[in-house]
Parts: sequence; structure tokens; C-alpha cells
Amino acid sequence: MKTQYSLFVITVGILATSCSGLSIRQNRSDTPQVLKVAQGIEAKRYPLKNGLRLVVIEDSSSPTFAYQTWYDVGSRDEQPGKTGLAHLFEHMMFKGTRDFPEGEFDRKLEEAGAEGENAYTTHDHTTYVQQLPKERLELIIRLEADRMKNLVVNDASFATEREVVQNERRFRNENNPDGLIYQEIYGLAFQKHSYRWPVIGYEEDLSKMTAADAREFYQKHYSPNRAVIVVTGDVDADEVYRLVARHYGDLTPSQSASILVSPEPEQLSSRRKTLRLDLQVEKLMIAYPIPSQNSEDMPALDILQMVLSGGRSSRLQKALVETGIASGAYAYAASSKDPSIFLFGVTLQKGQKALSAERVILRELERLSQEGVPSQELDRAMNLVEFDYFGGLESNSERARFVGHYESQTGRLENGPLYFERLKAVTAEQIRQMALKYLKESRRSVVVALKKAQK
Amino acid sequence: MFSKIRGYLFFVPLVFQILLCPQASALELDIEQDSRLPLAYVNLVVTGGAVSDPVGKSGITSFLGEMLMRGSRKHSKDQIDLLLDQWGAQLGVETRAEYLIVRGAVLSKKLPDFLTLIEELVIEPSFPEIEIKKLRSEAVSGLLAEQSNDHALSAKKFARFLFQGHPYGNPISGSIREVESIQRSDLLKHHARLFHPKRILFLGSGDVSRSLLESWAHSLSKKAPGKGELDGLNPPASLPSRRVQIVDKPDRTQTQIEVGQLGLLMSDQDYSALYLGNAAFGGGSFTSRLMQEIRVKRGWSYGASSAFRFGLQPRSWQVHLFPAEKDTASALAHTLRMIEELRQNGITVEEFRLAKQSSINSAAFINDTPKKRVENRIIEKTLGLENDFFSTFSDRLEKVTHSEVNQALKEFLKPENLTISILGTADRIRSGVAQGAGVTPESLKIVPYQED
Repeated sequence: MKTQYSLFVITVGILATSCSGLSIRQNRSDTPQVLKVAQGIEAKRYPLKNGLRLVVIEDSSSPTFAYQTWYDVGSRDEQPGKTGLAHLFEHMMFKGTRDFPEGEFDRKLEEAGAEGENAYTTHDHTTYVQQLPKERLELIIRLEADRMKNLVVNDASFATEREVVQNERRFRNENNPDGLIYQEIYGLAFQKHSYRWPVIGYEEDLSKMTAADAREFYQKHYSPNRAVIVVTGDVDADEVYRLVARHYGDLTPSQSASILVSPEPEQLSSRRKTLRLDLQVEKLMIAYPIPSQNSEDMPALDILQMVLSGGRSSRLQKALVETGIASGAYAYAASSKDPSIFLFGVTLQKGQKALSAERVILRELERLSQEGVPSQELDRAMNLVEFDYFGGLESNSERARFVGHYESQTGRLENGPLYFERLKAVTAEQIRQMALKYLKESRRSVVVALKKAQK
Repeated sequence: MFSKIRGYLFFVPLVFQILLCPQASALELDIEQDSRLPLAYVNLVVTGGAVSDPVGKSGITSFLGEMLMRGSRKHSKDQIDLLLDQWGAQLGVETRAEYLIVRGAVLSKKLPDFLTLIEELVIEPSFPEIEIKKLRSEAVSGLLAEQSNDHALSAKKFARFLFQGHPYGNPISGSIREVESIQRSDLLKHHARLFHPKRILFLGSGDVSRSLLESWAHSLSKKAPGKGELDGLNPPASLPSRRVQIVDKPDRTQTQIEVGQLGLLMSDQDYSALYLGNAAFGGGSFTSRLMQEIRVKRGWSYGASSAFRFGLQPRSWQVHLFPAEKDTASALAHTLRMIEELRQNGITVEEFRLAKQSSINSAAFINDTPKKRVENRIIEKTLGLENDFFSTFSDRLEKVTHSEVNQALKEFLKPENLTISILGTADRIRSGVAQGAGVTPESLKIVPYQED
């Protein structure tokens, strides 16, 4: 009945310019950098001449590997009127190429025994994921390299896929109160920046989107210099590099895409919106602007999130759930490329009011600002952080996700372990300062969802 | 945001060698050591899940599971929560139809203390009245909140409609009315029956000490109360004819369609053949017939899949899709035609080849993570399967022929007796649904979505 977010993988680390404290063996330009991710886990990074970056982690504990391709494009890079294009285009990547007609990509991977073939789009990036038996390494390299440059977007398949996405939108947003509330809180907290629209886009934009839009998007954003490939599992790193160089090496980099992202102006007064939805219990979301993933403040904000809602004895659990006000509550520092938001989400108990929960949260923030965090509570948060870190490195796909995230979104996978060190160094006073600095009344946006009147 | 749905997780077989520790007292303990990361995992499985809920007390096993975390003879809920968080540990109880699992994970340096606490929580729960009251309110609110999740609500209503009063039709989290009726005396009685030494299985993995786990498992088993027996589970009644219901919810722009029938046992001789038949028809892959016809060709639904659910008795085989309201009648009619066609003509040679090849080649993923290995072991033990059920899974698939698949589909599928449940706005979809399902509008059962 409560939600807990991992600080790693979902959220993002800071962009470090220094690698001090990390074990890095710098090699000649034709050999990889070897980087320590955690005890017993080493990554090898191979840059290619066309800007593509390859990261490999060898692990032979199972005869399989995970393969992920991270493109540095998400809904952040869309323009008004074209919302949802990054995600809709992600669907189109599963259509045909010049060499492999529609359906062949899926058929070949399924025949090979692929597991978890999928993709997802976020505000900041788009990631394609697969796991395969170790014998199928070259197959996936060949198929992914092919669709990086040879995709064919035809009008008929685009029209069908647009229908699918519109149906996905009905599933995630129109007929889903949680999706609607989430859409509204971002729409309220952001007035100018592209984070204000949902990743899946608005219905009116999707309905006008054309195959030509998708083709243009592809040309602009899908190229080797905007991608990171991560391979983790039972592979030989040098062999992976040799095959990747063979299949991707001839792809030409694109000009750097000129993307106009409007900066979000400072919020000067609180905002509020009330929704009437098909609900039996009320819901509440509160957002405060926070800085981007590069900020020195992010580690302390992440620990603040853990203090507020990590584990079973967190402050929100005690103040909202134990008291019978809510059935679930969470806090979440949504760190991103650009300044983002610190979110609170609450599902009320039967008969309880969202306004009561709001008052409790404000009271808790006030208490935190005044009294700070006792050392025992900080220790508790640190233990949860440590568990989170190691728990996110267990399987091939989890390791690939961790490494891919930091390499693609912060520019260096070293930032993953470094961020862990910075989290562990956060002090109680820093946490208190974060609450004072960012969680202020004038910066607050609130969405309250109430039960719609019955007809 | 995931753009592709890979359907339901189909139980995957196990090849990895788990070391079964023979115990004189018939204690069931499996350990898989891996000390590369400093994390220890412990699972305590009790056979007898939600299907063991007494009549009129649906949800009590799930409720009891959570109450184990809310007070023991030595620790209050607050103290338990604090200890777990201080250790960086996760501990929760998961209730399924046939079993209950206490799942724990902890930094391995804290494992001894963690095990002591688990034993205390499981053997000596105190079920404080104040916590029962709180959990009752949380659980009821959770059930009310679930009513805004169309997919979850639809699946629940379908199960109730399909199983006609059988325990498989009861929601694991219970009904609002029955959860509200749960008392401390009910919990004490159910706990004594459920936690019987002969029904407990222990699984440890990660950075764990064998001797520590053995000693813990022995101690816990000896102390388990084990008073009384659980009721046996009868097979669900077969269905004599096609039945259709609409779960009426206002202002839907999309419907949730569930179509299905009773399933089979995993130990059934046709299991492997039907596994492949289902994989080709709608088993979650993009090349499956359902996905191609419903999503790829027509764009009707983001997801379209078919899946079996298994238990100690035959459970279900069901198809799920969620088209726009405007496409509901067409999508339903087409799905029903596809099921009829599947029974009549089976799958093609190429569909068979692809399903078989794909399933055998993906056998490596049966056991590639400790979580899967633990899960497979739990399924084998709780559903009464052979210990090598998963390790020999791909060998059995290898032997299946195309004609065996089609013969099994012909015998298994009952298109004329399908149970059909559609969540949507009844007054707008009623005639279309009746037409699509081939029944009269008057024969449709309309169920308010808030009905308990």
C-alpha cells in the first residue's frame, strides 16, 4: 500500500567532472577504459569514431546477456503541437527497415529466444531493451544497427500505430485517474518547459501527427553519436566491441540536433487545481521545483526523499498511514536533465479528505525544517540507500539499466558509483537546508482529486 | 513508458541446480549461495493461500500476512518497522491463491538478527486490536481505490463470474464486507491452522550462511503451531453455456474485454502441447496471432494476449484486450471468431515451428536470476509438481508435435461455453456486445462496478 522509488536507475546522478576515488585504468585509444561499478563488477567502455559509446560488463553466471540501446531523446525534445512524438516514434522502431520487412525484427528475436524485448520513453531518453542467449550476440547487434539508420516509416503502418498509441493513452490517462492526476501535476508545475506535457502526448496532437513527422524525428535524433549501447552478461567484451564496430562503424553521425527547450521561469506563487474523477477515495499530489540532476543539491534531496517515504518507518508512513488518514503515501525527487520537481503523492483512506493530508505534509515539512533529522533516522536512510544500490545491480538487465542511465544521461557511467558515495556523505544539516530551500509555500503546486458526483 | 506489452509472465522452467538439503525431519530447505553482492534473501513459503480463506472471511489470509508485520510478543509494529529500516531490510508477505510467502531481503551482515525477527513475527504474532482496526481501514480503502483501476477491476470481476462461487473466484484481498468482518479471534484460529510444519518451505539465496539458515529453519519449524487442518479444494464446476456480463462503469472511452474458460493442471499430459498452442495464439509475443490481428493489423488495442493461470485444481485460460469503446463490438466478435478458428484448425506449421523454437531457445532465461530460481522452486513445491518439472521443461517441449498441439487445442477449447466479461459503460456498449458475442441483449448480465 505504499510506493517506494529506487534512488538509482529511476533517478539520476550528478554530472561529475572529477573521477577521484574511482578505480579507472586509462588505456590507449584503441582499448577500453576499465571502470569499477561495485565490488566485483567492472565495466569496459569503448568509444567509436562516429560518436557511439559502448559499455560492456562481463558476467558468466548465466549463459545470457542483456542488450540495451539508450538514445538521448525523449519528450523533452518535442515541440508544442507535436507532443507524444518521441514515444510514438519509439513504437515505429519496431516496424520494417530496408533489409528486414515489417514483423521480421520481432520474428527473428523471438525465434532466437529473446526475453523481455521492449522499449520505453521518458522525458529525457528512449531505451530499447532485450535479453538473449549468449550465442545470439551478433544477431541483435546486426538488427539494432540496421534500425538505427535504415528504418522505413510508411504511411499505412504509421496510421495503425498511431491508433495503438491513442489506445494506450486511453489506458494510461483517460480511463486512469492516477495517470490523469500525474498529467495535471506536471501541467501545473511547469508552465513553459516541455516537461509540462505527458510523455504519451495530448490526444489532439497525436491525432494530427503524420508519418512525415516521424521520418523527420528519426533523421534528427537517431544516430550513433546520440546513442549508448550497453551489453551485460556472458560475453567477451573485446568480441562485442569487434562486432559493434563492424555493424555500427560505418554509420555516420548526425549534426548535433538543435533543440529549443524553453527554460522554466521561477515559480513565485503557489498553484492549485481540483479535479473531479471516477474515484472512491480522494487523492492528492504536491510538487515543488528542484534543480537538475547536475546540481550539487541532488544527493541531499534524494536522502530527504528517503527520510520522508523510504521504508516502513518513514515520516509519511507514520504521519499519514499510521494515523488512518491515507492508505499510501510517497515522496519522490524526480531528477532530470533540466530542473524538475519533488513530488508527494497520497491516496486517502475511506472518508478522509485530501486537504487533511495536505496539512499533515506541510506540518511534517515544517518540523523537518525546524528540527532537522536525528542521526538514527539518517542512519536508517543510509542503510536503505545501500540496499537500493546493490539491489539495482543484481541481474544483467538491472546492471545494464544502471550503467546505461549514467553513461547516457550524465555522460559518464562513473557518475553512478560516485553518486552513491555522495549520497553516503550527506549530512542531517544538508537535508534540513534542502527542505528550507526548495519545499517552500510559494513554490508549491497542488492537485486534489475528488470523487465525481454521481449522475 | 513501455510501448510494447509482453503479456503475462508464463511460468518459466528451471535448469539451475538448487541444493536440496535432506533433513531427517523432512524439513524443506533450499539454499543457493552467491556472495558476490552483500545481500541475503530469505523466503518462507506456506502452502495454503487465499483459497484457504474460510467461507465468509475472504481476504483473511492476505490480512493475516500483513498482520504478521504489525506486532509480536516482543515487538510492537513501530519497533519492527524501525528495526527493519535500521538494518536496510525489506520484509513483506505476499499472498497468492495457493500459498503465502514471507519474503525478506537484507544486507548480509544483518542476516542473523533478521532471521530471529522473522521467526518471532511468524510464530508469535500478537495481532493487536488497534493494528487490526487500522489495517481493516487501510484494506477497505485499498479495495475502494482499486475500483478506479479498470484492468484490475475487470480481472477480478471476470474471475468471480467464471468460477461461480468457487474459492478461485474470490479476490485474494477479499471483499469489502468480509474484510470489515475480520476479528482477532478469526486471525488466531487461521494462524494456528495455516502455519503447520508440514506446510512450510524455506528458500535462501544470495550471501547466506548454510548453517545459519538450517538452524533457523529447524527452530522455526519446531515452533510452528499447526493446529487443525485446512479445507480441501474441490475442482471448479464446468460451464454449461456461453455467458456474458457487462461490468457497468460510467464514462469509459475504452473497454476491458476478458474472454475465457476453465484451464488445466500443469501436470496434465496436454500441458506442453497447450503451452505451445497458447504461445502461438496469444502468449505475449508480438508475432502471436492475437497481437497481429488485434494490434498490428487493426490498431484496436495496445495489448492483446492469452494466458493460463494454474493451481492445485484447473484454473483458467483467458484472453485480455482493451479496445476503444467504438471498436469493442468488432474486437469482441473478431476475438471469438479467432478462438473458434483456433479450435477448428489449430495453429499453422509455421506458427508451431516459431513457438517451439522460441520456447526452447529462451530456456536459458528459465533460471538466469536467483529470483526466478526461487519462484520456480516455490511453484514446484506448492503445486505438487515433480522436482525436475522446470529443469525438464524444454526437453518435454522438444518432443511435442504439431498434430499433438492441434489435437490438444481441439479437445481443450470450448468456444460455445466461453465466459465473457466486459468492463465499460453499459448503455453505450450493450447492443454491440450482444451482437459481438452472439447473444441477445436481454441475456446479458449487467453488474455495477462497485458491487462487492
